[in-house]
Amino acid sequence: MALRRALSAAGRRWAQRLCSAARGDTIFAVSSGHGRCGVAVIRTSGPGSRGALQSLTGRPELPPPRILALRRIRDPATAEPLDRGLVVWFPGPRSFTGEDCAELHVHGGPAVVSGVLRALGRLPGLRPAEPGEFTRRAFRRGKLDLTAAEGLGDLIRAETEAQRRQALRQMEGELGRLYQRWSETLTQALAHLEAYIDFSEDDNVEEEVLSQVDATVRALEQEIGAHLRDGRRGELLRGGVRAVIAGPPNVGKSSLLNLLCQRPAAIVSPVAGTTRDVVEVALNVGGYPLVLSDTAGLRDATDPVEQEGVSRARDRLRQADLVLAVLDAAAVPTEPAGLGAALGSLLPPATPCILVLNKADLLRGGGGALRDACARGDPLPPATLLSCKTGEGLNHLLELLARQLARLCGDPLAGSPSLTQSRHSLHLGDCAAALARYGRERRRDLGLAAERLRLARRHLGRITGHVGAEDVLDIIFRDFCVGK
Amino acid sequence: PGHRRAGSAAGAAAAPRYGVVVTGGGHAGTEAAAAAARGGARTLLLTHKIGTIGEMSCNPSFGGIGKGHLLRELDALDGLCGRVCDRSGVHYKVLNRCKGPAVWGLRAQIDRGRYKENMQKEILNTPLLTVHEASVEDLLLTEPEPDHPGKCQVTGVVLGDGSTIHAGSVILTTGTFLRGMVLIGLEMHPAGRLGDQPAIGLAQTLEKLGFTVGRLKTGTPPRLAKDTIDFSGLEERAADNPPVPFSFLSEAVWIKPEDQLSCYLTRTTLKAQQIIRDNLHLNNHIRETTRGPRYCPSLESKVLRFPNREHQVWLEPEGLESNVIYPQGMSMTLPPELQEQVIKSIPGLEKAKMLQPGYGVQYDFLDPRQLAASLESRLVQRLFFAGQINGTTGYEEAAAQGVIAGINACLRVHGKPPFIVSRTEGYVGVLIDDLTTLGTSEPYRMFTSRVEFRMSLRPDNADARLTHRGFEEAGCVSQQRYEQARKMRAALEDGIATLKSLQFSISRWSQLIPEVPISSSRRSPASAFDILQYPEANMEVLARAVPEPLGKLAQWRELAERLKIEATYEWCVVNQQQEIEEVRRDEALRLPEDLDYFAIDASLSAEVREKLDSNRPQTIGAVSRIPGITPAAIVNLLRFVKTNHQKTEKLKALPQTGKYLPGKMYSEKATSQRQISAEFSEEEPESTFVKTPL
Repeated sequence: MALRRALSAAGRRWAQRLCSAARGDTIFAVSSGHGRCGVAVIRTSGPGSRGALQSLTGRPELPPPRILALRRIRDPATAEPLDRGLVVWFPGPRSFTGEDCAELHVHGGPAVVSGVLRALGRLPGLRPAEPGEFTRRAFRRGKLDLTAAEGLGDLIRAETEAQRRQALRQMEGELGRLYQRWSETLTQALAHLEAYIDFSEDDNVEEEVLSQVDATVRALEQEIGAHLRDGRRGELLRGGVRAVIAGPPNVGKSSLLNLLCQRPAAIVSPVAGTTRDVVEVALNVGGYPLVLSDTAGLRDATDPVEQEGVSRARDRLRQADLVLAVLDAAAVPTEPAGLGAALGSLLPPATPCILVLNKADLLRGGGGALRDACARGDPLPPATLLSCKTGEGLNHLLELLARQLARLCGDPLAGSPSLTQSRHSLHLGDCAAALARYGRERRRDLGLAAERLRLARRHLGRITGHVGAEDVLDIIFRDFCVGK
Repeated sequence: PGHRRAGSAAGAAAAPRYGVVVTGGGHAGTEAAAAAARGGARTLLLTHKIGTIGEMSCNPSFGGIGKGHLLRELDALDGLCGRVCDRSGVHYKVLNRCKGPAVWGLRAQIDRGRYKENMQKEILNTPLLTVHEASVEDLLLTEPEPDHPGKCQVTGVVLGDGSTIHAGSVILTTGTFLRGMVLIGLEMHPAGRLGDQPAIGLAQTLEKLGFTVGRLKTGTPPRLAKDTIDFSGLEERAADNPPVPFSFLSEAVWIKPEDQLSCYLTRTTLKAQQIIRDNLHLNNHIRETTRGPRYCPSLESKVLRFPNREHQVWLEPEGLESNVIYPQGMSMTLPPELQEQVIKSIPGLEKAKMLQPGYGVQYDFLDPRQLAASLESRLVQRLFFAGQINGTTGYEEAAAQGVIAGINACLRVHGKPPFIVSRTEGYVGVLIDDLTTLGTSEPYRMFTSRVEFRMSLRPDNADARLTHRGFEEAGCVSQQRYEQARKMRAALEDGIATLKSLQFSISRWSQLIPEVPISSSRRSPASAFDILQYPEANMEVLARAVPEPLGKLAQWRELAERLKIEATYEWCVVNQQQEIEEVRRDEALRLPEDLDYFAIDASLSAEVREKLDSNRPQTIGAVSRIPGITPAAIVNLLRFVKTNHQKTEKLKALPQTGKYLPGKMYSEKATSQRQISAEFSEEEPESTFVKTPL
């Protein structure tokens, strides 16, 4: 045990020396798909890449540039082996971003990936990349030509959108409420400290404000610390693309769920509004993980229970990575524009979608016009005719679904809980560390202490959202009668 | 159109011509005129009354927390008011003494009469600067220059008597005089300040030109006769001994420490609250919806928002021989007889005589998002704005803008690139960036909490941050000041290098200076600079232990103090350096000023386009500070910048900021900085500073 501790201390110092030798910070992210893919690629960019590769492989020598090498990958802090994988070293400027880059190709399981991410996050000078940061760095170094940059904004929008949906999902639950409370507590403590700095001597900001801030910060630090040490890490997040079946009442949404999971998971009946709560099943479609939810039919319900069901359905829709929009084939307009309008009234904008026109068995004359509209695509999303009753069209739907999933899973950020969790724990760890340092600086210099709180606030802001100077001033003027 | 008077041939031939014309003789105007003249422009200052130049319309004090930082910075650019304060103060005090030198607030009670006299002396003796008494009614305009944004350019001003004056640049610093309205109780009359006429013609001209105008309000307390106040039961606050001067050039202030006057503290009672509550119907100013400052509220709004408590009133002297007391905290707009009742309800003021009632002022201001960071307007070329007209409050905020506008108006006349102070370089940079990027909905005041890099932008190092640039790029700094700043900078660099090279083991240090509790777990050896970080250590202590080579460093008192401050903040400054560079890289990516955001071919949402259009950010850095702008929009704009690379190339080369960033001082000289900063964080690896969000 003692040996392990000594080893880990030595490892940390070594890593520190390696990584702090160069200036500028280094970012990392998973740059491959998530879920049950065989291999995950974790990429770093920045001057700390060299040190990171050396620390994680535990070897001072780097593989030859741009050549794959098999290495044992371990956590430098604990010397614990994480995986055996392929690593590549791209010294700048001949790399994607123009900076020193490294890639770790590891086994795709969530445990390995989050282990590697955690290890990287603990290295000094390394931090998780922000949306679009790799591409932005590449841009700055002139590594992207204009045609490549053309799609960049859209790419980042997609990344941001995926992150937003993911954040929304997490902020719903217990964990979200906890983070939100910490965020408010910390912002208020910071505002009161700033008030004490900017106002106290001329105004009515009393000394006791400061001791309250001290106590708040101490309590918060302990709470975050305890949370980080808690192995359960709050709620377990299920991996996979979140798909939601949505549509008007009685179009066969629950029947579609049952058809897809090949068991009667949801109650079906001819009565509109049968489904009240959200029914959720985990599936594997074409090798991709999928969490499919059936929701209440969207209509202006009068029954309070159904109203709640509809509101839950709408919440799910906002958080969805993919929507299976179900409409009654016999009751929709047959020309694409009308269909598009019917769909538009149902969906949140910009969410990937598959249009399912159910009850195809009830169509007279085979529904030629609808079939044409589905095949034409644009302006419609991928669409298919289906009969949940006869099973006709199911293969086509599965095909469309697999295609969409492949696309979504290629997006490294969509709904990867391990990545999100390791991001969160990194930022929370940094936040707690800054809070601890607040206590120490307090006796030396209030300005420096405030700097620690600002830093802690910024780390927490990576999870709960940015707080600006105006927000802090708002709290100051709300809580204190300051001024001349 | 009527305001295009440039065509009149007779007027043009006879009209005098100046490089820079400044309208308004307040804190912004005087600094602007003096800065333009220092920069080498023939300058004309136009004011209603020469006698009111240097008038302190409200509080008899300068500086404070955040404001003291601004004063230091404008002194570093050779501005006037720091020096004038050092010759006019009657009570000098550094606020926040116990909170660390980064947030010290230099402040002084100023003798109004002396300040005015000294400021007028400065202004009237500034070479190249002429002062005329006249009101400006209109602007002379002509076709715009092709290479700049703007629909026309200003070529001069039209005075109240109809005569014209030609100018290369015009600076408007009209303060609260644009449609100024004074309010006492239910009475309301047009005035910029009690007893002075407002500017209405000019307000109309600006509106006709298409400037967006808003309305703000502020107020001032009644004045009291000192000899009718009973100070005996009140809390006294004495001045500092020795007083700390504002200016880097002043060795000491003019007044003997023991001759300084005191301030006194008293508090309102519930009686005052009652009077105010009972008479709200007699108070127009309070009922109006025009935005006033949240932080400088009238007594009425304090009582309404925070009821049933005492509110502080500071009794401040207005001068050495003056019988006037300024009751800070008592800004009121009640009818005068009710103000007297409120006054008499306060301990110590039971018999106080009111010399002048408090009053409110409402005035027009221009949305500062219509300005570039040089303070030149985007609508009218060569027209600059500074001070309260831009929506700020406070002498220091006005004066700081004045210096920047004066410098840039002068550079514009000389055909040189603008002088921009970045947010990473100074409070004045934060002030102007906030105003021109985000605008303001209330009178804007400087706070240290607005400043991201508070540990780097300190009162002590304003000269190191700005004086060199002011000399080299703006030409507004005297040779003497430049030499002095250069000497200090060199001494600091040498001093830091000496301290860092002096290394002993921890046990040796503990023997040498037992009074400093050095942690035994710290890595050995440690440098003298590391030891200086301890709160108990200072240069004197170190020099006693190691007289050679530290003795001579400790003898130079100012240097010794600054070395101590540098040591205290080294870790933080070095760590913020990276973030500063990130901000600066984004600030270097300039957006064309005449960009039509609704027309450009970039994938931007209508909402984002609207925000960009109304805020008119000048750099990608400014874009990222506008609330609601997405990372995707930023990248799309980046692409746009790159497509327009040719066009922006020459602009990009202009601002030279960053050469003198405080952190550079360490990185150039000291190679061991990383080790030191890592070592200072004994227990755990240093957390990285997060960069500003994309």
